[in-house]
Amino acid sequence: MSSVTLINIFKNYGQTKALHDINLEIKSGELFTLLGPSGCGKTTLLRTIAGFHKQDSGSIKIDGKIIDHLPAYRRDTGMVFQDYAIFPHMTVGDNVSFGLKNKNVSAKETKELVTEALATVRLLGLEKRMPNELSGGQQQRVGLARAMVIKPKVLLMDEPLSNLDAKLRIELREDIREIQKKLKITTIYVTHDQEEALVISDRICIMNSGEVAQVDTPWKVYKDPKKYFVASFVGSMNFLKWSLISWDQKEKVLVENKFKDSYENSNDFNDEDLMIGIRPEDIVIRRKSIKEENDNIILPGFIEKISYSGREAVYHVRVNDDVRLLVNIYCPDELSIDEIGSQVELEISKNSMMLFNKKSGLRCY
Amino acid sequence: MMKFLYSLNNIWNYVIIFSFSVIALLLIYPLFSIFFSSFIDNESGLFTLQNYSDILGRRYYRTAIYNSIVVGIAGMVGALIIGIPLAYFTTRYQIKGKSLITTLAILALVSPPFIGAYAWITMLGSNGWLRHLLQNFGIFIPTIYGPFGIVLVFSLKFYPFVFLLTSGALSTINVSLEDAADNLGCNPFTKFIRVTLPLVFPAVSAGALLAFVLSLADFGTPSIIGRNYKVLSTLAYNLYTSEMGGNPGLASTVSIILIFISLIFVYFQRRLNKRKDYGSSLLNRPTVKKLKKIYSIPVHFLCYFLVLFSSIPSIVVIFNSFRNTSGPVFKPGFGIDSYRRIIGDVPDAIFNSFMFSIASVAMVVVLGTLIGYVIARKQSFVTDILDSMIMIPYIVPGIVLGLGLIVSYNSKPLVLVGTPLIIILAIFIRRLPYSVRSSSSILKQIRTGVEEAAINLGTIPSKAFLKITLPLMMPGVIAGALMAFVTAINELSSSIILYVGGTVTMPVRIYLSVLDGEFGTAAALSSILLITTGLAVYAVLSISESKENAFL
Repeated sequence: MSSVTLINIFKNYGQTKALHDINLEIKSGELFTLLGPSGCGKTTLLRTIAGFHKQDSGSIKIDGKIIDHLPAYRRDTGMVFQDYAIFPHMTVGDNVSFGLKNKNVSAKETKELVTEALATVRLLGLEKRMPNELSGGQQQRVGLARAMVIKPKVLLMDEPLSNLDAKLRIELREDIREIQKKLKITTIYVTHDQEEALVISDRICIMNSGEVAQVDTPWKVYKDPKKYFVASFVGSMNFLKWSLISWDQKEKVLVENKFKDSYENSNDFNDEDLMIGIRPEDIVIRRKSIKEENDNIILPGFIEKISYSGREAVYHVRVNDDVRLLVNIYCPDELSIDEIGSQVELEISKNSMMLFNKKSGLRCY
Repeated sequence: MMKFLYSLNNIWNYVIIFSFSVIALLLIYPLFSIFFSSFIDNESGLFTLQNYSDILGRRYYRTAIYNSIVVGIAGMVGALIIGIPLAYFTTRYQIKGKSLITTLAILALVSPPFIGAYAWITMLGSNGWLRHLLQNFGIFIPTIYGPFGIVLVFSLKFYPFVFLLTSGALSTINVSLEDAADNLGCNPFTKFIRVTLPLVFPAVSAGALLAFVLSLADFGTPSIIGRNYKVLSTLAYNLYTSEMGGNPGLASTVSIILIFISLIFVYFQRRLNKRKDYGSSLLNRPTVKKLKKIYSIPVHFLCYFLVLFSSIPSIVVIFNSFRNTSGPVFKPGFGIDSYRRIIGDVPDAIFNSFMFSIASVAMVVVLGTLIGYVIARKQSFVTDILDSMIMIPYIVPGIVLGLGLIVSYNSKPLVLVGTPLIIILAIFIRRLPYSVRSSSSILKQIRTGVEEAAINLGTIPSKAFLKITLPLMMPGVIAGALMAFVTAINELSSSIILYVGGTVTMPVRIYLSVLDGEFGTAAALSSILLITTGLAVYAVLSISESKENAFL
């Protein structure tokens, strides 16, 4: 049970800002995910914590103690690698006991701990196998057992599931989640898969171009994104221009004032930058127009494309030449997925709208 | 300051410093000495450009330059003519006994060229039995001496480079590109010339470059079979060891010109291949097709003819070693007289050869593995420099290196000339690049993650290398060591300059025996070399997974 604190971490590769002013507080026992597109710095940050890279400036603390001066082999972090990194010339048992030998654990205790760890990852009885006799999923379980058997202060997982096929990925991520909760081991988990991040994490840190965009619980990250980037990266999001919709004067003044605050310099104001974000599931779609007494936005359009995936269907609705909105329908019936070209009406509640300043990337409302 | 102290902690920095020292002492300093000495007048000891104007001005020397380039290019072309078809047929069609063909090509590659030269003389020299045999049937053919003989030996000796490199490339190119050519209406021949060959050009040209550079550097072949046909390597040797008192200045100048010519070819090969990395395909590889009946026989005949023709010298030499001889004349009857004679007369040559080779290989393997690791895993500006410097021995002929070591270490404070050590060091530095290459290429197949995992689990980096990476490298390291041993025990061109009475080796003894007309002794010693070489190759083939690559 340990906490990790990152203070003002900077790292450049030549002109490229790999990490820019990273400040994070990872709580004891938490599963904390670094999420972002490739090249956003998440793996660099993880490897810096492990001690494989050295930050240019800033400090890393584990349990309040600075570990910057410690080499990788003395940091007491257990790492699970993307390509498993199982020692191919050692048996499963030797792989798992490898770190214990470095800690001079007695032979008897080593045996018990290895058995326990293999039982935890459901590989009991495979001690004598060589890694090339195992499937990818089994190899990664060995990787997990090897990292956690040393009871590290922090478990570091570098895209551990990305080399596995879709079914195994889901199975193993549930296992990781359960084991992590059972052992209460502080874990930093790197992934580029936003769905994986939402499912597995206690908190998510979304990174973009070497900077932290937002740190929040999965629910908050999805429902309350603080940046344009976060809204567009996590889940799918419709964006349309603010100016497309007619607003009454009171609303207009209110939004424009908030909008002005989102610029570094309020003179940069340009209402072309103001974007509305709406989740596809927050749009109501219907065939016939109904007149209702509320101030919801009504947009007419026609169905251009339907992506059916069983549990749901995504309708691509053409509103005008520039705007096409995605609408999620749960449990679509047979007829409704065969309606390409038909005219529909979309209804959007103003409460479900988020407003973003595309230029500064900030959320205004 | 912290960074500096941290860097002292890192054991690999000591490896880097040590490697640079070795290169400086055994390569840079000797080459610089030669360069320096090429500007020194032999008599007055003053600075002069006379050596260069002599070499470039006098017809005799100019002919040697011309001859060197001619046999070098002709040897390279011969290697291409044999190597490319062989590679194409064996990679694209079902050829029976493919591994036998590869093995024979590998044997041709590792057996020393001067043995080939000597074998051809016993067949087609002035007393050659094949010539006599043919004369009895009324067929008169000229002797093998001169440029034709040299080119024949070079082509048969160096084609395996082209064959093995081209085979590798041909069997991994993305076959969709060839399919696209078919689809766009190319006939098979046009497809080969316009699509396939350009795609494998980097590999073909690398093989061709090796054939050229090694032809240019070879001393034994032109010296044994060339007779009056002077090339630069024999010229440098003669200028240095001339009975009229050697001329180190002129010999050095010739050496510099040799290196210069090699460099020009390296430069052009690099330039031609710039931005020509087409990558290879892991999934979409060419299929091996079955040959149509009517083509099958001629293609099999061609492949087997080429490889068997190149192994004739080895077979002939072993055969000769059991014949009774008197000087250069083979007598009727068979026996083991020749072997008895070498054990009685030159046991020291056999002993020296094995001792020197084992000693130099031990050094090569240890340092080569470490440097290979540093270059592959600790990439930085400094290791990039190390990487390019380690390649220098590829283009420095053995004769030139031998001269350089003599010029550098024949006076106080460090006198090495005449000692076994200088021969060992020469072999060591000449073979180092091969070992570095092989260990860094094995490392590319071992994921860096495994070593990081060990460090992450609390292992000190140096121990992580010993416990994890080194065991994984081991098969490759052993194969590399055996290959280094093969080339070390067959080394002639630097030893011929560096040996004294007590440090004579088998290749040197064979060379001297051939010159003295002691053909029986030469055959018996050559057979020992060939059989040792064959055993080492057999061992490499049985331990390494990608067979051909172990030999390049």
